[in-house]
Amino acid sequence: MMELLAQVEYGPLAVKPYSTEWLIGLIVTFLLAAGAAIGLSKVPANFRRPIVSIGTFLCGLIYVLYWLWPRPVNLKPDQVPNGMVEQVGKGLSDTLPLLADVANILTSFLLGLGVYSLARIHFGKIIKRQSDRGFSWVLIVSATMISVFGFVDYILRSQDKAGKLVDRENWGFFNVGQDIMFDGLLLQMDSVMFSLIAFFILSAAYRAFRIRSVESTVMMASALVLMLSLLSPIMFQWNTMIAQMAKGMNIPNADPSIPYPGGFFHNLQISDWANWVKGNLQTPALRAVDFGILLGALAMGLRLWLGLEKGGVSV
Amino acid sequence: MQWLDTGWFGMLFVITMVAFILYNIHRAEKRGKDLFIRRIPGLNAIDDAIGRATEMGRPVLMVPGIGDLNAISVQAINIYAHVTKAAAQFGTPIRLCVANAAVYTVAQEVIRDVYQEQGVPEKFDTDSVRFLTDRQFAFAATVSGLIFRERVAAAFFLGEFFAESLIFAESANSIGAIQVAGSTEKSQTPFFIAACDYVLIGDEFYAASAYLTRQPLLVGSLVGQDWCKLLITASISIGFLWLSVDRTRMVNEHRAPLEAASPEVWAALTDDQKGDAESAEGWAKTDKPELIKKSDTFVHRLFNPMYNEKQLIVERQKKPAPAGEGQ
Repeated sequence: MMELLAQVEYGPLAVKPYSTEWLIGLIVTFLLAAGAAIGLSKVPANFRRPIVSIGTFLCGLIYVLYWLWPRPVNLKPDQVPNGMVEQVGKGLSDTLPLLADVANILTSFLLGLGVYSLARIHFGKIIKRQSDRGFSWVLIVSATMISVFGFVDYILRSQDKAGKLVDRENWGFFNVGQDIMFDGLLLQMDSVMFSLIAFFILSAAYRAFRIRSVESTVMMASALVLMLSLLSPIMFQWNTMIAQMAKGMNIPNADPSIPYPGGFFHNLQISDWANWVKGNLQTPALRAVDFGILLGALAMGLRLWLGLEKGGVSV
Repeated sequence: MQWLDTGWFGMLFVITMVAFILYNIHRAEKRGKDLFIRRIPGLNAIDDAIGRATEMGRPVLMVPGIGDLNAISVQAINIYAHVTKAAAQFGTPIRLCVANAAVYTVAQEVIRDVYQEQGVPEKFDTDSVRFLTDRQFAFAATVSGLIFRERVAAAFFLGEFFAESLIFAESANSIGAIQVAGSTEKSQTPFFIAACDYVLIGDEFYAASAYLTRQPLLVGSLVGQDWCKLLITASISIGFLWLSVDRTRMVNEHRAPLEAASPEVWAALTDDQKGDAESAEGWAKTDKPELIKKSDTFVHRLFNPMYNEKQLIVERQKKPAPAGEGQ
């Protein structure tokens, strides 16, 4: 156990949590971040884009170098990297979690902005007595309740070192309320929305498979083959029939080394048709689409990283 | 990337593609705006859809998917900036519904800038860009409800969509809205094809901003992507031919001893070649280390680890123990 503890590391810029250094670091970081935010807000508008571009480039550069630079092979926590190449590789590996933490912190601030937008719209609807304000009431009341119940439930569970709350009989008002709202309502409503897709698929498929053109006819035929191949009783009956036909076939001058002279007819099994459609038509087409999408993402990422993409403003 | 793990080929390939894209951006910026892009019906339909919404006096709905702030959502916002530009000119109301807080903040800034650029900042309604929720089906329910309540005339679903795609598309279809959709998730594209009027398939989604704006930078990037596709096609063709040659050599080498197991061939072999074998049949069955193995083929070595166990063992110094530890 002591050996394991001896290997605990907190990263290059981190210190032991809840220590004096940690508290000082936290305050200094907060002040620096607040200063940076105030400073950025005072920067003239025409300088903001270069600052954002430089920041994006530097952060992206770390990821690019992480991909390009060889990382130390089998480096154990208690070992010192050999030479500059390994040291840089380890440094890059250690920097990535730090960047991810910064991104997480920024995202949580942005979530606050999102919640503010939501609250502003719905409080506005209620105050202005607009139509459909009933939905706004439902949203605000349910969001407030699930936040309060969820938070209290979390606190109670984190204080429950003895694990009493594992047993439902020990649950209090807030635990039961959280369970009803989250597992009893929210997850069930999620499932309801998901199950709606089944009905929507039916109506969309009905429209898509109406035979109006050559393309829709081909689509209809291939869909029929695939659907029949997924229906076990039909597939079994069809394949058995084909196999028996092939076995019982009497072909003159057949090669005696071939056990079933009508072996070619095995290709008419519906599962083989479906596999052919999937393997020779569907998979190559999807891979081609994949190539296009990934190339598009590569080009877009490159433009963003190098600051060439000017976003929607230039459109 | 571990060089030893994946070899040099993947890295060289990606760097070549990056070079193609950057070179074509440079070339297009020098050449100007006269580069050809084929017609994409889904993007031509944008103006028609906005015109219809304007005539009907109903809003235009835009959803940039439910993904995080990444290249996909930025591209979707780029397209929506173009849609908003046309909507701002006609005074058509817009609804941009977002499921991610980071995307929301970027979208709001971009849409506000578009209104300012069009000279109508007073028409920008801060409530037109909305963060709804980050839960997938709650978002689906909210957007679906908005479609029915506000009876949108045109709906754009461009971005990263998952299971909720069909809920959006069918809801908008049921009220007769014109729909232009496109997803980078290939599993959702068939749903959009089945339910929407116009669909952007695959990289058409990324081509949209170049198609709509004809900016040399974006069009050059698109040409670079086409060069990359040619490179991929060529490498696939060369790859399967090379693999066929490699495998044919392997099969021939493995077959040769079996075919050569005749008394005449046996008589012609030297003692070294015969090894421990005592007859032609016995010699044909012996393992021959000089035969090509699958792992020796060129194509296999391009895509598979090339290290041996010895390379994984690296001698390094131990870290000095911190002061006071172990006492």
